[in-house]
Amino acid sequence: MSSLFGALSIATGALGAEQGAMDATTNNVANANTPGYSRLRPVLTESDPVVEGSVTYGEGVTLQKLESLRDPILQLRIEDETQQQGQLNTFVSAMQQAQVQFTSTSSDIASQISNFFSSLNQVSTDPTNLSLRQSVLTVAGNMATVFNNTSDSLSQQQTNLDLSVTQTVQQVNTLTGQIASLNTQISQLQGTGQDASAFEDQRDVAIGQLSSLIDVSTINSDNSLTLTTSNGTALVVGGQSFSLSTQTNASGFQDVYAQGVDVTSKLTSGQLAGLIQVRDQTIPGLLSNLDTLASGLANALNAANAKGFDLNGNPGGNIFVPPSVSGQGYAANMAVLITDPSLIAASSDGSQGSNGNVAVLAAVQNQAVAGGQTPTDYYSNIVASVGNDVANGTAELSSTQLVLNQLQDQLGSISGVSLDEEASNMVQYQRAYDAAANVVTTINDMLFTVINMSTLTT
Amino acid sequence: MSSIRVNPYPMPDLLAALEQLQQQQTNATLELGTGSSINKPSDNPAGAAQLIKINNLSSQVDSFQLSIGSISGQFSTADSTLSSVVTVLQRAISLGVEGANGTLSDADRAAVAAEVTGIQSQLLSLANTSYQGQYIFAGTANTQPFIVDPTQGSGVRYVGNTGTNSVAIGNGYQLQVNLPGSQIFTGTGGNIFLAINDLITSLNSNTGIGAAVTELGNAFSYVTGQRVFYGNALNQTQSQQTYLSSETVSLSQQLNEIGAANIADVASQLANDQTAQTATLEAIGKTPQSSLFDYLK
Repeated sequence: MSSLFGALSIATGALGAEQGAMDATTNNVANANTPGYSRLRPVLTESDPVVEGSVTYGEGVTLQKLESLRDPILQLRIEDETQQQGQLNTFVSAMQQAQVQFTSTSSDIASQISNFFSSLNQVSTDPTNLSLRQSVLTVAGNMATVFNNTSDSLSQQQTNLDLSVTQTVQQVNTLTGQIASLNTQISQLQGTGQDASAFEDQRDVAIGQLSSLIDVSTINSDNSLTLTTSNGTALVVGGQSFSLSTQTNASGFQDVYAQGVDVTSKLTSGQLAGLIQVRDQTIPGLLSNLDTLASGLANALNAANAKGFDLNGNPGGNIFVPPSVSGQGYAANMAVLITDPSLIAASSDGSQGSNGNVAVLAAVQNQAVAGGQTPTDYYSNIVASVGNDVANGTAELSSTQLVLNQLQDQLGSISGVSLDEEASNMVQYQRAYDAAANVVTTINDMLFTVINMSTLTT
Repeated sequence: MSSIRVNPYPMPDLLAALEQLQQQQTNATLELGTGSSINKPSDNPAGAAQLIKINNLSSQVDSFQLSIGSISGQFSTADSTLSSVVTVLQRAISLGVEGANGTLSDADRAAVAAEVTGIQSQLLSLANTSYQGQYIFAGTANTQPFIVDPTQGSGVRYVGNTGTNSVAIGNGYQLQVNLPGSQIFTGTGGNIFLAINDLITSLNSNTGIGAAVTELGNAFSYVTGQRVFYGNALNQTQSQQTYLSSETVSLSQQLNEIGAANIADVASQLANDQTAQTATLEAIGKTPQSSLFDYLK
């Protein structure tokens, strides 16, 4: 029924609705720089009309809710890209460190190998010259040392990566704990029909951080969110989180366990996967290549020395400490066995002045001593493979970064707060509020008129 | 609202662009500073591997050149020693011819014989020449090769060996660096010590001087023939030296082709990056400082 009081209540309702809308604007402006914040939008609807005979009276406006603008599908894609980025970022920065060992210098492995053979060649020009022989031993020592140092640095890096694995697992556990407790809060609020967008924003931020650490799949059902690793092991189920743990494996490094299952080799993206990839695959590969090269060289040179005779006329012995059959770990332990320069077997027939066996020793330079390749070719392939790892990783990383930026732009265009927009909304809400307030004043005047009607008649 | 809503935060994009530009400038500066486009393997993995191989070849070439330097001294010493031997033998031959002259008195012949004896010890000392502590005519033995031994017809005995050494002066190029003294001085084609001893004996006895001179003449020709070996060896090292020098040039050209920074390109790239950086910084500076709020009064 139409009445002045009815109109008053419609105007008052409008005041309330505009205030509520203004609340959304205020909150948006306040959180303009809050990471992960999704802007709020007031949802205003017409109140149900009242029909009286042939006339339908509008009942004003209702503020249904403040809706937070988010795109869950986009959010998932961002999480996905973040995982890629986390893995590549870790891989590239670890490999950049490893690459330093293989950067060309005057004292790198390649140079020391060249130096060794050069100095060996000089012995052939004057085989009885002890200082020439001594310099062969010195350079052999340098060559062994650079193998030792390169191998040690890589092992040290492996240990550091292992430490990072443990730290990352702790970070993952902290985040899954946070997400689980946010889940609880969100489902409680949503259960009572309340708005949980603030907690959802926080959860999105936490999931984003988690994504950079480990590969997670998000399963979002009503009021509940489940996070699993890519192989399906649960990390968070609703309000419950499941911690990852670490256990020392046979190589002395930490393996990652989820609910008692070893998932170390099953992690495919995120920082953790990058760390494990470099720790368990790339660096061991490089170390084993260095072992192959160092032991191949040592074996070949020892064998060549044994074919000749030393300055005392005795058959040549080992120049280097002989490697084990597998050669495993040799690069780290390569060492020159002899200290007496006369023990270099330059002679091919036992006579002191003969240099015939120097050619045999020098020929090792062009022999297939490691993986069917000459020492220099084999080493140059190691360098190329490290370089390729870094170069490809960097290229992938920057393309992932590009995709991520675009996705975040897209998300920002949906969820980001535009101050211009908020200002214009504010003007709109303010004017509407002013108008509603004017309506109240007018109705008040009208009511005044009605109340004073009797006075007028008397 | 039908217009497309844009991301109100352009800052992360701009910062990423800025970071990228700074990285590029750092790389360009490094390239300009080192003059090399490959400062780490990832700059050009295949190129880095190539550089290692070329550097190794270049170090081999250096080592061959060093070896040539060392053996050239030995060759020169051997060659000039044999040149002296030849000169001394010529003198002995002319002394022999003089001694064969029937008008010479016994005393004169004895004087000639004495001079030839002097030549004999001179030859012995020449045959025992050493270079940097190593007897160059001892084969591969590390000992004085010729010692006096009156029991021998030639008056000397060779105690060196018949070994020869070779030195690598190129890839797969082994150059023989010595002839054993037994081959040069006491070979079957001509034994200079025997010939000299025979001459002294014939001068003293005044019999068969002519035959002894002929024998010495044969020995002289033989030694002259042996000397050619060192002359050839010197020639070979010289031509190899020339080849290795050109090889060094060619290797360093290859190094440049693969690894040298293209200074012009890098410098202009750097300039471009700097311009882009300035532009980006300006863009960041001009990101609206104000919003609609500033205009609502």
